[in-house]
Amino acid sequence: MLDASGLPLAHPVAKVRTPHERRIEEGLPIGLAVDASRSKRARIQRLLEGFRDEPIRLNVERARLLTESMKRSEGQPMVLRWGKALAHILREHPIHIEDDELLVGSAGPPGRYAVVYSELVGPGRFYTHPHELVPSKPGDAIVISEDDIATLKGEVLPYWERSSYHKATMSALPEETRRLMERIFVVTPTASGRSMLAWAHDYGKVLECGLGAIRREASERLESLDPLDTAAYVAERPFLQAVLLVCDAMIAFARRYAALAREMAAGERDEERRLELMKIAEICERVPEHPARTFHEAVQSQWFVQTVSRLEQAIGGVVGNGRIDQYLYPYYRKDVDEGRLSEDEALMLLESIWIGMARSTDVYAKPGMPSLTDGFAHWEATTIGGLTPEGQDATNELSYLILKSKREFPLNYPDLAARIHARTPNAFLHAIAETIKEGSGFPKLFCDDEIIPLLVAKGGTIEEANDYCVTGCSETKMLNREGIATGCAWINLGAILEMTLREGRMSCYGNGLVGVPTGDPRTFRSYDQLWEAFTRQIENVVQHTFIQQHVADTLKSQHIASPMFSMLHDLCMKSAKDIHSGPIEGALYLGFFDVMGFGTVIDSLAAIRTLVFEEGKLTMDELLDALEDDFVGHEATRQMCLNAPKYGNNDRTVDQIGHDIEACFAGLAHRHTSAFGGELDLRYVSVTSHIPLGAVVGATPDGRKAREPLSESISPSQGRDVKGPTATLMSISSTKCAQYKERAARLLNMKLSPASLVGEEGTRKLMSLIRTASDMKMWHIQFNIINRDTLLAAQKEPEKYRNLLVRVAGYSAYFVDLTPALQNEIIRRTEHEF
Amino acid sequence: MNDAPKGLVFNIQKFSLHDGPGIRTIVFLKGCPLACMWCSNPEGRSREVELIQSCDRCIGTDECDRCLSVCLDESLRIGEDGNVSVDRSRCDGCGDCAYVCPSRALEVSGEWVSVGEVLRAVEEDEAFYARSGGGLTLSGGEPLAQGAFVLALLGAARQRGINTAIETSGLCNWKTLSAVAPLADRIYFDIKCVDRDKHERGTGVSNEKILGNFRKLRAEFPEREVFVRTPVIPGFNDSKEHVAAIVAFIEAAGGASSYELLAYHGFGEPKYRKLGRHYPLSHVAPLSPQHMQELQSVASMGRSDPLTSLLDCDTSSR
Repeated sequence: MLDASGLPLAHPVAKVRTPHERRIEEGLPIGLAVDASRSKRARIQRLLEGFRDEPIRLNVERARLLTESMKRSEGQPMVLRWGKALAHILREHPIHIEDDELLVGSAGPPGRYAVVYSELVGPGRFYTHPHELVPSKPGDAIVISEDDIATLKGEVLPYWERSSYHKATMSALPEETRRLMERIFVVTPTASGRSMLAWAHDYGKVLECGLGAIRREASERLESLDPLDTAAYVAERPFLQAVLLVCDAMIAFARRYAALAREMAAGERDEERRLELMKIAEICERVPEHPARTFHEAVQSQWFVQTVSRLEQAIGGVVGNGRIDQYLYPYYRKDVDEGRLSEDEALMLLESIWIGMARSTDVYAKPGMPSLTDGFAHWEATTIGGLTPEGQDATNELSYLILKSKREFPLNYPDLAARIHARTPNAFLHAIAETIKEGSGFPKLFCDDEIIPLLVAKGGTIEEANDYCVTGCSETKMLNREGIATGCAWINLGAILEMTLREGRMSCYGNGLVGVPTGDPRTFRSYDQLWEAFTRQIENVVQHTFIQQHVADTLKSQHIASPMFSMLHDLCMKSAKDIHSGPIEGALYLGFFDVMGFGTVIDSLAAIRTLVFEEGKLTMDELLDALEDDFVGHEATRQMCLNAPKYGNNDRTVDQIGHDIEACFAGLAHRHTSAFGGELDLRYVSVTSHIPLGAVVGATPDGRKAREPLSESISPSQGRDVKGPTATLMSISSTKCAQYKERAARLLNMKLSPASLVGEEGTRKLMSLIRTASDMKMWHIQFNIINRDTLLAAQKEPEKYRNLLVRVAGYSAYFVDLTPALQNEIIRRTEHEF
Repeated sequence: MNDAPKGLVFNIQKFSLHDGPGIRTIVFLKGCPLACMWCSNPEGRSREVELIQSCDRCIGTDECDRCLSVCLDESLRIGEDGNVSVDRSRCDGCGDCAYVCPSRALEVSGEWVSVGEVLRAVEEDEAFYARSGGGLTLSGGEPLAQGAFVLALLGAARQRGINTAIETSGLCNWKTLSAVAPLADRIYFDIKCVDRDKHERGTGVSNEKILGNFRKLRAEFPEREVFVRTPVIPGFNDSKEHVAAIVAFIEAAGGASSYELLAYHGFGEPKYRKLGRHYPLSHVAPLSPQHMQELQSVASMGRSDPLTSLLDCDTSSR
């Protein structure tokens, strides 16, 4: 309903609240959403109470132990050093079992915590300079003690600053490349902010075979190494040794929990809890060493692998859960069939994983730096639905059960991703639509019909592609096929446009050249001339981005190794090689780079073409003068810019500009081969970076004022898509260059008003919208079903709205945890309501 | 495709969820023989291209006087309040001022378009119709006031496999309605009041032809799906007796696929200002949900399930 803009009124719609909004407005404490479930899963209810009040404690212990071990192993092969370090951590890291816990294992102190990854010291991670470390004050979101600071300053940070991966990468860059990277937020390398991009482990393998089997394989191969085959001996031995160390340490880690559980059981007065603790002890003596036999064992085994992964290193977006409804299903089915497991018991175990993930937070930003992932975001992507490797529908009872949990479980974990395809059962889609309508933004949707053919084009087999899982906010992985993906770079398309309009310079970086000189736009006589200059700037930036990526890829193995990660990867085990070290035989290397500000720049180019070169309403001088003055004193010009044609309204001539931009980037990616013989794919996933990236870009010809956020991911500029979601989807579809395989995620947020989806009729309409998005081969789509006034109210009374979840970009976060800039940005996103 | 007759359209709205099955596109046709006091689409009333003025968007005559300098019929001038004022008796709707206005403070409502042009716009969303069972809905104004165009448009749409619906006030030639009826998968028929005098006071016209058309429609096209709707206007037709009389009329005429009450809202009011008109109901408050519910129970009395359930789930949303 667009009464204010003077459009005709079909049927005005009264205010409707989502269940999520209602619960918050009624001031219900955090807990399971359904009364019956609160009593049936009372344990989960108790664990949830007060959850949001817990502060986040830093885990510096992992950094201390890592550093201690690394100091002792200087000079040894990197994979062995990391194996020793992880083993040291697993044997020495303090452990605990919290009240009511069924699932044990934590990568931090009790409650909520954040692991400090000291090996990633640098601007992309936590605290660049020790002098910036100050103890926290009461009420701070993160608790940092004097002791923490003493440990970090004394033993940890000085060591890592000497040999920082970040520093090494930056100093190895060619001079021109480094100069460009040093202009903050023009091209932002993120390789040194995490050990690798989003990933999940092959949990199924551990559940089925146990670590004991992996240990045996490593041990046999170690014994059969031929010392006369020196090349293989020298290369493979440290890897296999590291695998042995890690397997033993992981098994020992589980046994430490078993021992602690027995000790606690001995002193436990409550008989029921005592029996639980004994059961926990038995399970921890069994897994992850041996194959899991029950659902409980399977979940515990999975959780140990996930916990150790957190202690091993920072995987970008945090480690995913993979296709959880697939690898857990056999255990679930068996237990249910044999009468050992009720639905609520299964839910309690799953929800124990969700709580465990929620306790772990990911702290990136250092104080005073614009936050890159607001709300301490992390994405343990959890995939349900989709196809089996054989191409049949994969949905099972567990897929539905996980959706049920998502409707009832109040935290923003798991980051649930549903795979949709042409034969997704209607009943499953119905459950998905009902879950989305709950209003907390889950699940996000991935279209198999787009992703699978692309993965096959990139070199996956049909089986591997059918079996992909979602990782991170919108990535996909073929677990035993893909090689490492080092952190990607974010390319600021808004900055590239500004360079085009300022002869290679940017207003916030003074007179120095940032890009390349491409002529004075005031002398341009045609849109083609402008386009040529623009693509020349793109080429320059992309070249340096690829060079940076190459250096980061090739240098990484000198700093980081991941023995646990690697031993769970078929190809790494086969070649006895760490995942980070050079090309692994048979692996596909699918890295990517992100383009930010797509919508802003399409709109800007469309405005110039329309106003200057087609209608002649403005001269280039008038437009550029207005941009120079940030539109101050040029209101008429700004209005013309704001009212020029915009991306997101199914205007083919505008969308064609987006198509041309994509063709330009994808064409460059197509011609390029990455460090290990793979590809770097074009992606549009801004998470929240479009806010800091916008802060370095001057006024743009779409009417955006200087420093304002850029458009987000593949979405149209905030509030500029006024023709409804179908037009938005059509536009997005029109910009795609399907002829290139060097493409990956296009992240789309769509805000719908709860009123437009009322009742069963609304559910069915949402289902048909999702079906059409799948027909149109969208990569990803997620919905925010929320009323604008709820968001405004939450800004005014944050205390009351502490539990309000909103979809940000590839993840959901608590609205009140977000920076005001991001809050405003979410409010400005177009709400589709008719 | 026959492109000959052109229609005056004032909007094409995508992703409509409440005017027929599925996800639909509504084409709003300009011109209406009724003059309902509560009309929420006043720009749909006149059969002329009209200027719409949104004063809140104007950046002021100090910044910009583009509109004043291009207006040849001198219908624009600076008013006493310093704003640009439109003399609608002089304005011929040429749109030159709207073209140069940087902020869309001046816009033109209404465009003459061909059947082909409308269908191209409608078919942009065909992927959504396929999955949702949606299609094209004609609304207005009174679409049947542009009979030849509507016939050509619906005929072409049907030929191209598009589901069609039409929303009508019922005031049109029987010849037009009887030609359109076989081409529309659904007909939404408004019956506002069965009392002739009262109807005339509220809408400016007698209901005689409307009621007659409804009877004939039910008699001659008994298989056609006809959905009756009544906008419930405070002080006009908001009593149980009014609703009961309409229910009785519908039943006597042969029934309907559904009967639905639409609660009055004043959301169209800002548009009256934009057209330089006065909104007669500016002080009328919407009806309470309880009141609507009571009327609803009269409306759904004695009806079978599909109708009742439709009413239950929909009225809360409107």
